[in-house]
Formats: sequence, C-alpha cells, structure tokens
Amino acid sequence: MFCTNCGAQLQDAANFCPSCGARAKRPESPAAATVPSAPPPPIQTSPTPPPVASQRATVSPRPSGREVTCPWCAAVLDATLLSCPRCGATLDAPLEVSETGWKQLPGRKDMAKLQFGDSFCQIEGLYVPVADVKLAPSDSIYFTHHVLLWKDPQVNMTTMSLSGGWKRMLAGLPLIMMQAQGPGHVAFSRDAPGEMIALPLQPGEMIDVREHLFMLATGSVAYNWFSTNIWYTTQSGDDKETHYPVGMFMDRFSAPQSPGLLLLHAGGNVLVRELAAGQTLLVKPTALIFKDPTVEMQLHFEHPSTGFSLWGSWGNRYVWLRLWGPGRVALQSTFERLEGENASITNCSPATRQQW
Amino acid sequence: MTDAIHMAAGEPLERIQCQWCQGMNEKTALTCRSCGAPLDIRNLVSESGWREAPRIKDMTEFQFSSSTCQVEGEIVPVAEIHLGPGDSVFFEHHIMLWKEDSVPLTVLQLPGGMKRAFAGMPFVISVATGPGRIAFSRDATGELVVLPLHPGMEIDAREHAFLLGSHQIDYSFVRIKGFANILFGGQGMYMDRFVTTNTPGLLMLHGYGNVFERTLKPGESILLEPGAFLYKDSSVNMQVEFQKLGTGFFGGTNMALARMTGPGRVGIQSMYVHHHTE
Repeated sequence: MFCTNCGAQLQDAANFCPSCGARAKRPESPAAATVPSAPPPPIQTSPTPPPVASQRATVSPRPSGREVTCPWCAAVLDATLLSCPRCGATLDAPLEVSETGWKQLPGRKDMAKLQFGDSFCQIEGLYVPVADVKLAPSDSIYFTHHVLLWKDPQVNMTTMSLSGGWKRMLAGLPLIMMQAQGPGHVAFSRDAPGEMIALPLQPGEMIDVREHLFMLATGSVAYNWFSTNIWYTTQSGDDKETHYPVGMFMDRFSAPQSPGLLLLHAGGNVLVRELAAGQTLLVKPTALIFKDPTVEMQLHFEHPSTGFSLWGSWGNRYVWLRLWGPGRVALQSTFERLEGENASITNCSPATRQQW
Repeated sequence: MTDAIHMAAGEPLERIQCQWCQGMNEKTALTCRSCGAPLDIRNLVSESGWREAPRIKDMTEFQFSSSTCQVEGEIVPVAEIHLGPGDSVFFEHHIMLWKEDSVPLTVLQLPGGMKRAFAGMPFVISVATGPGRIAFSRDATGELVVLPLHPGMEIDAREHAFLLGSHQIDYSFVRIKGFANILFGGQGMYMDRFVTTNTPGLLMLHGYGNVFERTLKPGESILLEPGAFLYKDSSVNMQVEFQKLGTGFFGGTNMALARMTGPGRVGIQSMYVHHHTE
C-alpha cells in the first residue's frame, strides 16, 4: 500500500503515513489492493542518455505497466508513485502553466524524499525548507558553510580540496566550499522564505546559476565558474563604481560522468520558461535563478518617453537583462534592488538600447 | 521522539491525547484545546527524528486558565488573546499588533508574580491584564510554537524569540558564559528561562521559517548552527565547538557550532538569520 498524499510505502495495517502524516486510504476494491507492495525500484538512468536537457531517465518496468513522466525532471516513473524520487515533485497534481508559458515549480509534499546514489534527501517544511540529507558511507556532498543547519556529530566535514574537480583559481575567491562525507545526517537551509529547487543532472548536462543561490551538490557534480561580462560603471563626482547586476561570476554545474543532484534555494516563488531559438525576453537581472548554457545574456537600457524634457530622459532609465533562447530560464519572484540604476552610467558591457 | 499512539480502528476512545503537548481532549475534538495542534493529522516526523511543529490551522482557538487564544493567518500568524478577568500575559512591547482600549498595560513589576532582576536590562517586559482582547505578531514569516508548561517544567528559549507567557510562568534570564562574542556579534547572549511553579501556564514562541523539535536521549548529541537554536529543555546542555575551515592558503577560519546534548527536547528554526533586536 502506498500513501495517497506523498507516495511513501505503507504497511498494510497503517492508519497514517509515517512519512507525511496523512491518513492512509485503503484501496476500495480487491482488484486495486493487488497493486504491488514491493518498494519502488531504484532509479536507473539509461546507459546512453542524449546530452540535452530534455532527456529522460528510465525506470525498470513495473508490473502495473503504467508510467508517468515527472513534469519537472522528466524522469519516467511508475504510475503508483505520487512524488518523484529524483526531484521531489508531486506527480498527482498537474503542472501550473501561465498563459505566457511560465511554469511554476511543481508542488512538493512536506517531507518528500529524494534519492541520489545510495543516499536520501528529505525536504522538510514549507516556508523556509530544510534539506535533510542522509548520506550513505560512500557518498559525499559539498556546500557553502553558511547554509549548514545541523549535523550528526559523526559526519565528517572538510574543506573542499582544490585539486580534483575544482579549479585551483577558486582560492582567489572569498568562498569556502565544505564537503560532508557519509555516513550520517546533515541538514541545510537558507535565511529567506522561498523554494527549494532540485535539479537532477544527467551526464553531459550543464546549468548556469546566479551566484549565492547554490545550496548543495552531490560529489559527482563538477563546479566551475565564468565571468558574466555583464556590468556598468556609474560615476557621481569623482566616485566611480562598477556594478554587476547578475554578479561578476556565474556558477556552472555539470555532471561529467555520472548523474548528480544540485539543490538551489530561491526567494519567493519560482517560475521556469523555455525560450525558443532566437526568442528574447527582458528580465530583472537580480531575479534570474538559472539558465541553460545555450541562453545568452546581454544588458538592455530602456528610456521611457518623457514628453518634452531632455533632462528627464537622462534621469529615468531602466536596466534590463536580455535573455536569448534557445533554452530554459528560471526567475524568482523576490529580488534585490539593483544598485546604481538611477545614477549616471559612464560605461557598460555590450548593450542594446531603446529610447521611446 | 514522540510518536503517535497506534490505535486499532474501532476501538472505543474516550479521550485523545495531543501528540504535541500531551494534553487530553474529547474524542470529537479536531484541534487540541490546550495548544491548538490539529488532532486529525499525524505528526510530521523526518527520518532523522525531527518533528515539525504542528501547523496551526487558520482561526484555531485554544484555552489557558480563563482566557482563549485564536491564531489567525498562516504566513505570519497573529496570536489574538481574549483575556479572562484576572488573567494576564507578559511580552516584549514591540510585538503588539492591536488591542482594545480598555485593556490595561503595565510594566512587569519586580516584586510581583514574576520576580528577578530585570532592572539593568535593555528592554522592558510589558504586561496586559484582562478582561479584554490584545493581539501579537512578529516581523517575519514563521510559525507560532505553543508550549503549555506544566508544573516543574523549565524551558530555555532564544533571546527575543518568545511571543508571550501567561502570568503563571516565572521568567528569568540565563547568562551564557563564553558564548557572547561567538554567537551574537558581541552583544552578549542571554537565554530566556521560563519556569512554572504550581499552576500550568502557557508559553508561545515565534520561530522564523519552519520550526522542528527533536528529543535527545541522555548523552545523545547533535551539532547546530547557533542561529538555528530556538528553545530547549533546561536539561539539555549547550556547548560551543569550533570547526576549523582550513583553506591551505590564508590560514583558514573557524566556524562555531553548538553541541546540544540530551536528555531533553531541542527546538530549531530553519530561517537562522540573526534578526535585529533593539
């Protein structure tokens, strides 16, 4: 028997789900009661997945024969499951898509469980979710130290060695990456209400993430960073300042050989959209969460029409980030104020302009 | 950890025990009359043993002495107290949301029911006395943690985390030595200690983000980000430890973690930012 709320396996006599607390509903007919009660099979990724974002991971066929596709990570799963074990998305509610094509992050049941390697991650709470990772002895994860919430005393934490998957140049950044090695529990959260985004990465898949949104990644995920080349310089008197609306650097995560899991935390609500090749969109720079590496970025300045005053057109100007498809982009509904938006801009990275 | 009692279906029940506060309720009750926890939903317990504080349903009412409290809203919940005649609650004045004209406010009297030396403290504890209504809320997304205290119970709570206490509760500070510079940027750290003497009382805390509770066995310990600490039984020992973060390049830095050692309950909040207090 499975929980109708979160999909966890239940004992046949259980009145409540031990995972999410919902009342257990017993199958009505004897036919329905013959749904296999074996634990859900481990997810197996297909041996030769194509290196594109929309690839599918396959799961060994079930006696029930019915399959569903996870609306978030596209894993093919048995239809009896109610939460995706790869990314935690609920499978029993349709994905909410706006008329313009923005998809909301799929719902997640409280205490939903994700699986990676031999380890599990349980996501607890709905306002400021906690990622509670149960590391198997062979698995490790890395994270920035300020997101640590609690850990078992026996979990070994070390700073990330700079050889290996890490760029040596990282040492120049004011950033300490920590590594936790199983076995044991270690849990993470951030300091703002928002959503936890689980991004399972298939071999060959890459994703670009705006800085400081990273929560944790499994040991198999490689980390790299690149200069965004999105900047503008403002001047007030002799005071010159360079601003980086999407950060000076952007994080790039990939899974070179084996599948991995990346967890991000975004503020407020999360919206995702697929841009067609050549399609462009103007977004608030600080609202960007992640994008496919195929999506290009550039600055865009927009000057609203102000009637007859020439002065007005200088003082009033909006700074946008232009995104070009093809690929996925994700935005968060809370964002920081843009610095220097109203100051006089003396120089900037390549930009387009619109004067109304 | 608290676990639900499994009762076979059909077994006659006279009373339901609340799994959060252990209070007894009539079998038809949907929420606990002494803490507001829903009784028709089982505990949400993570695999690692953390129990999520019960999400109090919007507009739930519960009672303490001759007063009632109604919880309104779910994102930043408001605690609206209908004080019975002679009942009073104490609180920090900046969390008042609204009150009826007629409810008298006083400052906590030192020789009164709640004693101790507050005089030197940089903030004032106010007292509202019934009959009448007064409502409280805090400044960020979070959860109300309702802790009915029985005689003899002692709870230590993070400074400024308490929303209100009923007049049966004795309030004091505990100075934590050696913590000062580590945890709170040199402001010094006190924990609030709440003790009930002879009569049961009510303590309400506000935790930022989500709140989780875990019961540690004697000698069992866990390491916490210090900013996540919300409350504990006074039997739980709290000790700071350092984790050295060597980078190999600039000597490394230290990271402080609080080791909590049982026996007793520990409560944490998932939004661990240090909010400014006065």
